[in-house]
Amino acid sequence: MAGPIHPRLLQRVQATKRYVAASVLVGVISAGLLIAQAWLLAHCIVGIFNARTVAPFTGQILGLIGVFAARGLLAWTSETLAHRAAAEVKSELRRDLAAARLSNPVRTDVSSASLMRVATQGLDDLDGYFSRYLPQLGLAVVVPFIIGAAILWADWQSAIIVAFTLPLIPVFMALIGWTTQQSVARRFAVADRLANHFADLIEGLPTLQAFSRARAQRRGVILTEDANRRETMKTLRVSFLSSFALEFLATLSVAVVAVTIGFRVVFGHVDFTTALFVLVLAPEAFLPVRQVGVHFHDSADGVAAADAAFAIIDGPAPSLPAQSSAPVPPPDARLLVENLTYRHPGADHLVIDNLTLTAHPGEVLALTGPSGVGKSTLLTLIAGFTTPTSGRILLGDHPISALDREQWWARIAWVPQTPGMVRGTVADNVRLGLPTATDEQVTEALRLASCELPVDKPVEDLGEGLSAGERRRVALARALVRIRHGQATWLILDEPTAGLDADTEARVLDSVKASGAGAIVVTHRPAVISRADRVIALTPANLPAGADA
Amino acid sequence: MKSAPTTAMLRSLLTAVPGARWRLVASILLAAAASGASVALMGVSGWLLSRAAEFPPVLYLQAAAVGVRFFGISRGVFRYVERLVGHDLALRLQQALRLRTYDALSQTTLLGRRRGDLLQRVIADVSAINDLVVRVILPFCSASLVILGTTVMLGRFSPLTALVLLATSVLAGVVVPVAAQRATHRLDAEVAPARGRLADEFHELARATTDLVANGHTAATLARLAERDHALREIERRTAWTRGLAQGAQLAATGVAVAAALLIGGQAVTDGRMAPRLLAVLALVPLAMHEVLANLTQSAQTFTRTRSALERLDEVITAAPVGVGDLPLDSSADTPGIDVSHATIGWPGHDPVVRDFSLTVGPRERVALVGPSGAGKTTIAATILGAIPAQAGAVTTGGRLGYLAQDAHVFSTTVAENIRIGDKDASSERIQQVLDLARLPLAPDRFLGEAGSTLSGGEARRLAMARLFAHDSDVWVLDEPTEHLDRETATALMDDLWRAAAGRPVLVITHDPDVVASCDRSVSL
Repeated sequence: MAGPIHPRLLQRVQATKRYVAASVLVGVISAGLLIAQAWLLAHCIVGIFNARTVAPFTGQILGLIGVFAARGLLAWTSETLAHRAAAEVKSELRRDLAAARLSNPVRTDVSSASLMRVATQGLDDLDGYFSRYLPQLGLAVVVPFIIGAAILWADWQSAIIVAFTLPLIPVFMALIGWTTQQSVARRFAVADRLANHFADLIEGLPTLQAFSRARAQRRGVILTEDANRRETMKTLRVSFLSSFALEFLATLSVAVVAVTIGFRVVFGHVDFTTALFVLVLAPEAFLPVRQVGVHFHDSADGVAAADAAFAIIDGPAPSLPAQSSAPVPPPDARLLVENLTYRHPGADHLVIDNLTLTAHPGEVLALTGPSGVGKSTLLTLIAGFTTPTSGRILLGDHPISALDREQWWARIAWVPQTPGMVRGTVADNVRLGLPTATDEQVTEALRLASCELPVDKPVEDLGEGLSAGERRRVALARALVRIRHGQATWLILDEPTAGLDADTEARVLDSVKASGAGAIVVTHRPAVISRADRVIALTPANLPAGADA
Repeated sequence: MKSAPTTAMLRSLLTAVPGARWRLVASILLAAAASGASVALMGVSGWLLSRAAEFPPVLYLQAAAVGVRFFGISRGVFRYVERLVGHDLALRLQQALRLRTYDALSQTTLLGRRRGDLLQRVIADVSAINDLVVRVILPFCSASLVILGTTVMLGRFSPLTALVLLATSVLAGVVVPVAAQRATHRLDAEVAPARGRLADEFHELARATTDLVANGHTAATLARLAERDHALREIERRTAWTRGLAQGAQLAATGVAVAAALLIGGQAVTDGRMAPRLLAVLALVPLAMHEVLANLTQSAQTFTRTRSALERLDEVITAAPVGVGDLPLDSSADTPGIDVSHATIGWPGHDPVVRDFSLTVGPRERVALVGPSGAGKTTIAATILGAIPAQAGAVTTGGRLGYLAQDAHVFSTTVAENIRIGDKDASSERIQQVLDLARLPLAPDRFLGEAGSTLSGGEARRLAMARLFAHDSDVWVLDEPTEHLDRETATALMDDLWRAAAGRPVLVITHDPDVVASCDRSVSL
């Protein structure tokens, strides 16, 4: 953990700054209210004690109720503020995460699963950070000092006791944390592994049942669970020590203050009012510091979540500019791949080495070659999702890297190996290619793609409800409406590896050609290759055999 | 807070786990002692100062001074021991609950049922018992004891003040937390779907990124996401508002208790019915009580969460088992093969997925079972394997069956232990032999899964193959062996499977035309 406040959260997210300021302000006001409360309480008790009558003090008692009411309002406000800050920060980070993903869609360093985890449960951990840890931190840096000053003003000897023990709390915590860190970390690792054992078995139950081994594993569950409990308890015995130190020091020093000041009252060194005032205030000086210790874990989770989010947000820049004034080449411009070289970030071998090829509108260019030769990578480079290591891709005379990315994407119809589906209906998924497509255009595209699904068939999350082949055909229909009725002039098609009928794809290619658009197709199917005007076989040596430019 | 299944579950776990009851009592008493110590510290300190203000001989203060020191020291100690006893109890109950869950799930057929989310949820839900004990039962029970004890103590000096304190404590400790829990419970019910919709949006964005981007939907996607996010924020805002209100109300209740103590106690002092030195005790005790009660709002909310988790778990545990769980090892015929004649197939208690289904796999035969997804191919496999009975008709199998699942689990242990699932007595030579046969060049002692390294899709499938090879079986049922694999990997894998099959009768469930082509014949659904 980088420090009490995550530096980047503070710098990057405006809402954090405002909130830190607000929580300090809340701290100042609560310290003031606590002092007022102690003062009123001491005066009422001592007043009644001396005067033996309650009547003159009803005003002060009412004032006391007012102070409590104000503290209640402050607590309410502080909770609402904490939520607002957490919500603003979460929304901002979520938006940035989504934008980062969309601006750089084929990053290899972030899996879909980890993006989803960070954006949903991960960011929710910031709730604890903002609603529990930060407010306490705000109180802890303000309240002990103001209250300490009040005690000092009332009775300097008690202030010394508090001033002596209060700093001991973080020191002891650090000391205990420091001496036990290694053994705690080691035990946590063991406990974690044992705890995962149950999850592993439960998830593997169907497999165990298939080999008639599920019931036999029961004994294993008992043994691991016993070991798990013993290891966890060992860890807890040590990790509870730091909160023990906190509570022990805090309560003990209040007790010491009470006893010391009590005896000084007897000897007339301190008056009763001052003594009560100090007694009521002393625990309040310790409370925020103790609470910071209690909520320290919330901070760790929140910081980890923020770190994970920033790691994704601060990833590599997108390859195409968001906005550009470069003129868009005419629809009949050819596509030229020139001396293109690509190496995966961090890898030492080249995936594509000095590749040059040309694709013309109205013709089908088939790319063939064995696995790992960079066919799919070439398509993502052409689409502009990835930045080439060197070389360039030109549309007409303009490098696509200089084009406005939205305008370049408007010119392509993209069908990846496993096409993505959106929730809605089959028609909605076809209209993803062209939102303005009419019902007739959608039906026609589906027919051309041999997709016999009803247009209103629901598509659930992640394409659930459609088979892999059906998703493929819907994606082809999507590309067709974009080319036939939209502005797209290039079909970029990556052939699936699972067995699907090649005839449909061949038919779709005919339709693309007929519309005057060009197609760049990764394939190894004879039926598709036979439709191609040219075939370029990429080889692992990265020298396109039979390439013609 | 009505919670029949949760209470029943807790009660039966307390009975089942040895020593659980006294551990529960001990941890409640320790928790009450710890909270009580901080209340007593304040009360006795108040008395000490008041007594001191009467300037008695110092000797009279000694007992109170000892009390103050004792409570000062004991609070931390009680709390530490309480936490250890309480967590130990919680872990024991969790352990018992896990075992129950395992028993229930291992006896119901999971094979071929899409229950991934259920299993995931069950794992998380079990830990709710831990929170129920540590964060709900212990705080509520111990706070109740402290409230009662304090009321009794104060009642000796000023019954009316004690009653007011009891009332405000119940208000701050029970009424406010429960009301807040009720209010937020309704909101929580709205939060879950809102959160789900936001997660759905992120799923879609993550899985269909290139499709969304290339089709020009970047701005629209971000806008929809912002809309979902806003809806969730709105509900969360109302939850925070309620929570804040509850905290404020607790403080106000404390204020009322303090003021009432001063007014009532002050009047008693005025009337000469109470010694003035007790006034400080009456006024300071409610102040210390606040700290005991403040966390109960959180506890009440934790209760809602744990209760629904445990209710879900209860459904799983008490559900009647479906099928046999572990596959039967003995077969109904002698010659290796499969014979299904005019069978109606479906999950017990559900509508049949296939009627009048017949299929035979004779000696040395390779048969493909082809059909669109959702047509019930895996249900047929579960029936043939004997996991669930046929609803009508006859299913006979000869020889021991071996099943290659599409999503066979890779356990987080060594390669060798993963293979020993197929044959628990496999020697290391045998392990190496099946690894070679499956063409999986992995060291047998390599650690896999969460804690170890992960396998590629092809390697995981080959590991499952090696497990099948190790299993002593005469007939194979292969479920979508090439699904999600690229063409070259799939072809190589099928070649190896056919070679290893060595004349065994094989039924392949598939929709891969290449696999169908490599079979002797195919049966369509």
